[in-house]
Amino acid sequence: MPDLGRRQFLLKSATGMGAAALASMLGTSSFAASDGGLSGVPHFAPKAKRVIFLFQSGGPSQMDLFDPKPQMEAYFDKDIPDSVRMGQRITTMTSGQKRFPIAPSMFKFQQYGQSGQWFSELLPHTATIADKLCVVKSMVTQAINHDPGMTFFQTGSQISGRPSIGSWVSYGLGKGNMDLPSFVAMTSRGKGGVQPLADRLWGSGFLPTTHQGVKFRGSSDPVLYLNDPPGISRATKRTMLDDLDTLNRKRLDAVGDPEIATRIAQYELAFRMQASVPELMNISGEPQHILDLYGPDVTKPGTYASQCLLARRLVERGVRFVQLFHIGWDQHANLPADIGGQCRDTDQPSASLIKDLEARGLLDETLVVWGGEFGRTTYCQGDFKPDKYGRDHHPRCFSIWMAGGGIKPGISYGGTDDFSYNITENPVEVHDLHATMLHLLGIDHKRLTFRVQGRDFRLTDVHGRAVQALMA
Amino acid sequence: MPEKGIDGRKGAAKPFVEVPNERAVAELGERKAQLAELEKAGDAKEQIEKLKREIKWLGRHQKGMAMVMQELPDRRPTYLLKRGDYQHPDKSVAIPPDLPGVFKTGKEAPSDRLGLARWIARAENPLTARVTVNRLWQHHFGTGIVRTAEDFGTRGDPPSHPELLDWLATEFVRLGWDLKAMHRLIVTSATFRQASRFETNVASKDPMNRLLARGPRMRLSGAAIRDQALLVAGLLSERQGGQAVKPYQPAGLWEELSFGNGKTTIDFYEQDHGENLYRRTFYTFWKRTVAPPQLAIFDGGGREACRVRGDTTNTPMQALNLQNDVTFVEAARHLAQRMMREGGTTDADRISFAWRLVMGRMPGREESEVLVHAAGRHREKYADANEETIKLLGNGESSRDDSLPPHEHAALTVVALTILNLDEAITLE
Repeated sequence: MPDLGRRQFLLKSATGMGAAALASMLGTSSFAASDGGLSGVPHFAPKAKRVIFLFQSGGPSQMDLFDPKPQMEAYFDKDIPDSVRMGQRITTMTSGQKRFPIAPSMFKFQQYGQSGQWFSELLPHTATIADKLCVVKSMVTQAINHDPGMTFFQTGSQISGRPSIGSWVSYGLGKGNMDLPSFVAMTSRGKGGVQPLADRLWGSGFLPTTHQGVKFRGSSDPVLYLNDPPGISRATKRTMLDDLDTLNRKRLDAVGDPEIATRIAQYELAFRMQASVPELMNISGEPQHILDLYGPDVTKPGTYASQCLLARRLVERGVRFVQLFHIGWDQHANLPADIGGQCRDTDQPSASLIKDLEARGLLDETLVVWGGEFGRTTYCQGDFKPDKYGRDHHPRCFSIWMAGGGIKPGISYGGTDDFSYNITENPVEVHDLHATMLHLLGIDHKRLTFRVQGRDFRLTDVHGRAVQALMA
Repeated sequence: MPEKGIDGRKGAAKPFVEVPNERAVAELGERKAQLAELEKAGDAKEQIEKLKREIKWLGRHQKGMAMVMQELPDRRPTYLLKRGDYQHPDKSVAIPPDLPGVFKTGKEAPSDRLGLARWIARAENPLTARVTVNRLWQHHFGTGIVRTAEDFGTRGDPPSHPELLDWLATEFVRLGWDLKAMHRLIVTSATFRQASRFETNVASKDPMNRLLARGPRMRLSGAAIRDQALLVAGLLSERQGGQAVKPYQPAGLWEELSFGNGKTTIDFYEQDHGENLYRRTFYTFWKRTVAPPQLAIFDGGGREACRVRGDTTNTPMQALNLQNDVTFVEAARHLAQRMMREGGTTDADRISFAWRLVMGRMPGREESEVLVHAAGRHREKYADANEETIKLLGNGESSRDDSLPPHEHAALTVVALTILNLDEAITLE
């Protein structure tokens, strides 16, 4: 067989040698079946077709960003009343403190948009999309430390080993595109308050590995082993692939195992990914006004801004679930100094992603979620000065926002007490958030199950309810 | 026996007893002898320093540890947790520790872990042997006689061949719980030795081959795929024991997810060199928050929860790994070297040599022709002083036999990589 250039190969693909076509030519449906999701899913008409989850790792402070508490001023440096704390569990990082002085936020809040949503001065860009957001102020989690908190947020269980939400969605709905994975994860890093992540956060647990998130990286090898090895050109790789194809087909004829047909198709898909992923990562074709929209970091690989733009490019290409993690919200010691940096990293890109998706008509079908694993305490951790205070982990209430795909825009949901310590109305559990996200994707969270070790498991375990009030 | 580690860290440290580390003791002796010889010779300063460091390390590791558990002299009261919440014990009644009735073995067993262990191991208990032989069967056939290898209870599947399962279980006990004997029994059976070919009329009736009308056909594990590549390349180290090793891994994987402050040694992946790159995959260091990528890609699981049965997937990530990971390109380079040195003089002979090493059979005429043709084509591309040739032969840290003509070595490296990527190469038939 003569050598084929990429152009010729793509032409050849277009005339009937695509992976799916190849699989059907070879008389097997295993490729299609493994990519098509479960039969009967979605269970009902979906509002959203895909998800971008902007995870803010470390626990952003709700009362410095979304949940203004002017009443705290009167308690400046006074201990939190027992009637508020009610002896509830706190972490060992502050349980030894003699005092729990209330530390009012030093940041100014203002209402924005027709909806009158509140945002602090730290979020000027998010404030411009106030009317598109549903801000949930009454999130509550069971975990008080990062690892179980993030594991709970991503897998529905504090104990590791369960599939992540992205892999559940991939398992239920299948792939939404030909040349890219169905579930992509990316991580970026702020300057302060770093907490480590673990690859289980986008792992597939007991679901087939096909559904595990593929990590896209800021390096020159954006997907593991994507680059050809030194000394093997594309043309050589193509001829090698043709030989593999010929020999694998001979084996398929000889033993008849449909897995061989799948393998042939996956090698072709891998070859296409070697072109489609760099094409995806290459933002040089983006017009200047789009780059400006996301801010100056957008051209630096590995930054949150660049990953927000990539998230848009991924969902444009039909990727089901894009999971970002921005590390650095764990502000125990000097929150006022550190939170500014985190907001500079994330405020503009997050808001711009919403605007960009909307301008392209993608927001209606794309669910965007912004939030971390818990909130932060109303009382100060460590040294307390008006402009220098730290906050410990707080699971009992915190704020997240959602937008797009079936979400009711311009609303604030739930409420907290004067100290943003306890929820006063409409608590939303992590399981409820998961149930709501699945619901918007057309999935009944009680019916998306996988049997392992003698019982049917689901993302929400035996909990969760889809929160109708959050949906349009 | 003195126990350590119980009192420190509020009981969080693992309790253990010290056991002699025979290997470290033996290695210490060897190193000391080497050092004495080198010191007599009087040069090789660097080597002497290295040996001294190793001797120091081994000296500290002459004792290993084994984790232990023993009952407290006075048992702590245990309470029912209301709705499973550890913060809400029902302290009205303390519940004495006990085994469920079905586990009780009668007179000999205390109601604790020892009692449970005795129940597991007692001769009249058929379950232990059944579960074990079922896992061996699953290992060789891909699916156990009981498909749900982790669950022999009411929610598990019934066995496809109950009498066979019981016979294997009783054989296992009769043969003195000898695992090797059971492996031999299974792989020499007529059932295992059947051809793997899917006959259309049978495959349509029994697509999962539960009735075993054909032999197994299943993809190897990620570890087996890597070990096999190293073995056929002649790179595999057969040394046993010792510390975990850190072979090739794409740069930055640990750093991206770690604290990244450089304060903890686990922040950075420090790749090993030399023999440690070629140890059996069994010895690969496993960081649970960032699994070794090749093993994760080949369904190795996260090791976060116990798993006795996994899925075997077939993904483009696997194709990328086998084609582009330096591990496999280096293995192909060495397999090509063996083809040139040991495989005869013609392309056809050399290809047959490699094919047989990898597949365990000779290539068919057409199969051979495809690769002979490929070798010719690749040879045209890789000239001796060509930059591509130099790059290709530079994959991996091991040296090459410089007496071999580079263009020939490069062309056969691509052929060898092709062979290592074939479906049959990574599949047990």
